[in-house]
Amino acid sequence: MATRRTAMLAVVAAAVVALSACAGGSGSKDSASKSGSGSGSVKSIKLVAAEYSKDNTAKFWNDFATKYKAKTGVTLDVQVVSWNDIDQTSSTMVQNNSAPDILNLNVYASYAKDNLLYSADDVLSGSVKSDLLPAFVKSGTYQGKMYGMPDLSSARALFYNKDLFTKAGIAAAPKTWDEFEADAKKLTALGNGTVGYAEPLGPEEAQAEFGIWLVNNGGDWKANGKWTINSDNNVETLSFLKKLAVDDKVTQNNPGKTNRTDGAFPLFASGKAGMVVGFSPLAATLDKDKKINYGVAPMPTKDGSAPQTYGVTDYLMAFKKNGNQDAVKAFYDLYYSPDEVNTFIKAEGFLPVTKSGLQQFSSNAGLKVYLDTLPNVHLTPTDDPTWDKVKLDVQQNIGTAVSPSGDPKKVLDSLQRNAEAGS
Amino acid sequence: MADQIADSVAASGSPDAASGSGPGSTSGPALPGGPAAGVRAVGRRRNRGRERGRAPWWVALLWLGPALLLIAGVVIYPAIELVRASVSHYSITGLRLGSAGGRNYSKVLEHPALNTVLKNTAVWVVAVVALTILISLALAQFLSKDFFGRKVVRWAIIVPWAASLVITARLFTLIYDYNYGILNHLLLSLHLISKPVDFLGDDRWTMISMVAVGVFVSIPFTAYVFLAGLNAIPTDVYEAARIDGARPWQVYWQVTLPLLRPAMLVASVLNIIYVFNSFPIVYTLNDRNPGYTHDTSITFMYKLAFKSADKDVGMSAAAGIFNVALILVVVLVYLRLVKWQESENR
Repeated sequence: MATRRTAMLAVVAAAVVALSACAGGSGSKDSASKSGSGSGSVKSIKLVAAEYSKDNTAKFWNDFATKYKAKTGVTLDVQVVSWNDIDQTSSTMVQNNSAPDILNLNVYASYAKDNLLYSADDVLSGSVKSDLLPAFVKSGTYQGKMYGMPDLSSARALFYNKDLFTKAGIAAAPKTWDEFEADAKKLTALGNGTVGYAEPLGPEEAQAEFGIWLVNNGGDWKANGKWTINSDNNVETLSFLKKLAVDDKVTQNNPGKTNRTDGAFPLFASGKAGMVVGFSPLAATLDKDKKINYGVAPMPTKDGSAPQTYGVTDYLMAFKKNGNQDAVKAFYDLYYSPDEVNTFIKAEGFLPVTKSGLQQFSSNAGLKVYLDTLPNVHLTPTDDPTWDKVKLDVQQNIGTAVSPSGDPKKVLDSLQRNAEAGS
Repeated sequence: MADQIADSVAASGSPDAASGSGPGSTSGPALPGGPAAGVRAVGRRRNRGRERGRAPWWVALLWLGPALLLIAGVVIYPAIELVRASVSHYSITGLRLGSAGGRNYSKVLEHPALNTVLKNTAVWVVAVVALTILISLALAQFLSKDFFGRKVVRWAIIVPWAASLVITARLFTLIYDYNYGILNHLLLSLHLISKPVDFLGDDRWTMISMVAVGVFVSIPFTAYVFLAGLNAIPTDVYEAARIDGARPWQVYWQVTLPLLRPAMLVASVLNIIYVFNSFPIVYTLNDRNPGYTHDTSITFMYKLAFKSADKDVGMSAAAGIFNVALILVVVLVYLRLVKWQESENR
């Protein structure tokens, strides 16, 4: 009998271990954010910011907090979270009723839909709002009100290795997809592990990689208020990306399972890839290393028409809490003062989101290729809450389309179905 | 340290070392503490028994309080929260929108990837635990022998246990890497393969690569459990076997293995639970792969909450409840299969 009881104890203990392991994620509490009780104003607000770089992000926000405190007397608690963890951090905070006052993320519409956020009418000064670039105001607007305030932006372009191009006898960056394919073949033929195009369709940022290709074939995620993920153009685009990988074999091994920052970029930075889709922070890294002689060109288009730029912007959003409205407004006022927002963007190597920033950055010749296109940039449909799910769906599934057994049409059909079901 | 752990377990377990009780005075593996220690413990127990009834309940509560609080805080409360979450309807933002009834459970059961995930979980647990036990048996046999440098070898084996699982897993992604990985480099320069193998990207290799890491990190604990078990086997049974003319293989098969049974039971049950619940290895080695092709039920649960298009805390909590139920059933079935009661009563 004694042994039976011991065994039961052992089993219960085992269950408890398993149970608590499962519950680990949902149990964490955050007590740092204190919203004032009643209608008085708060003494401190909390910012959860995404980490763009180890060197600059935390440093900027800590300096910012000092200035903010000096100006308003309110303390700004800063928590910088890596991109890998920020979705989890933010949803856990909301789940536990301890949302931060300000959150920095690449989506906002679901939060607006759940009625958690202040709109620009509540917390953004008129002068600040009129300085924002109209394209970003539009993408930050959900059901007629602006909830997502752009913190910075980035635009993608084609990076190519000039030395490899010379070796392969290619005179200029490709302008059409046919040229791109031919160039990639020549680059791959150089041998020694050289790949023509480093194609990252792994879960990290697949939506951006596919996005830049699809806008250069006349496609889009959404058109006239309807999802167009499985449009003929988009199927053609994804089929082309599969052809590069499977038939032509001009990409690195398993592009559907390669991420950008730990896969494609290192290949380009080590001189093994002839072409990669990059953005200004990649240029900053390459300039620092001084190992690769590279050029930046607009993306090639399917038929040689004018290149389209695909841009990404991230957002700052403010959560409605008792008594924090004035503090939040003061936060935005300070953040969007040219000295702050542009210093941040410059340090991180991204692109401006304001008209005054555009002017200030225009003196930088290296950024010209992006800046010229910024006002007409194609942005992801972040103003639709369904996008928040579509983004995850694309990240987790589009890579399967470019494997040898992959079916681009089927993958896009499934994404389209899920998008329609979600909206 | 390594040496001391094994030796102290051995010392307390082995009747020879414990208190000079001669050969033949014990049957089967002795309990930790040895017979002499056992007698002392019984004496103590009797003393305590006499005082027990007199302590008022609040004194008992005072002593138990901290432990009870800890259990309530870190075990019971999260468990209640988990159940509550599993019957709640959550927005993608994490906001609780209301009750969901049993919907989260049925959504998990209807999930298109469920079969793949369950199959992966079975392969992962069975392969890792079986290989770990086989290799650890051999390793423990080797380590129980006296040889020059044994201390160093024992140390070396304990290292993977001491390192954080995330660090180990991250290290292995570098070792396995297609372009720069040291493993491909090695195999290529030995001319065993003609072109690199994508250990983490090639669907045929991903599970094998993960299992290898799983075995690597499970061996230290298991080998030490077996080592302690081996040291606890009295030498006289071996002497008796030799006198009866048993060959080495027969001795191992008919003396060592049966006497190792309690250690084997502990090692396999604990390993099944650890390996089933292992998150860092599967998640880290598999994080570049789209979909659920190589996920186990634990990483599946995580992806449901934070990475998949569902991004649903409630559904993930329901999957968590299923996980607990699953591991409970597995452990119970295992215990029934090996008829543990019989072996312990012997």
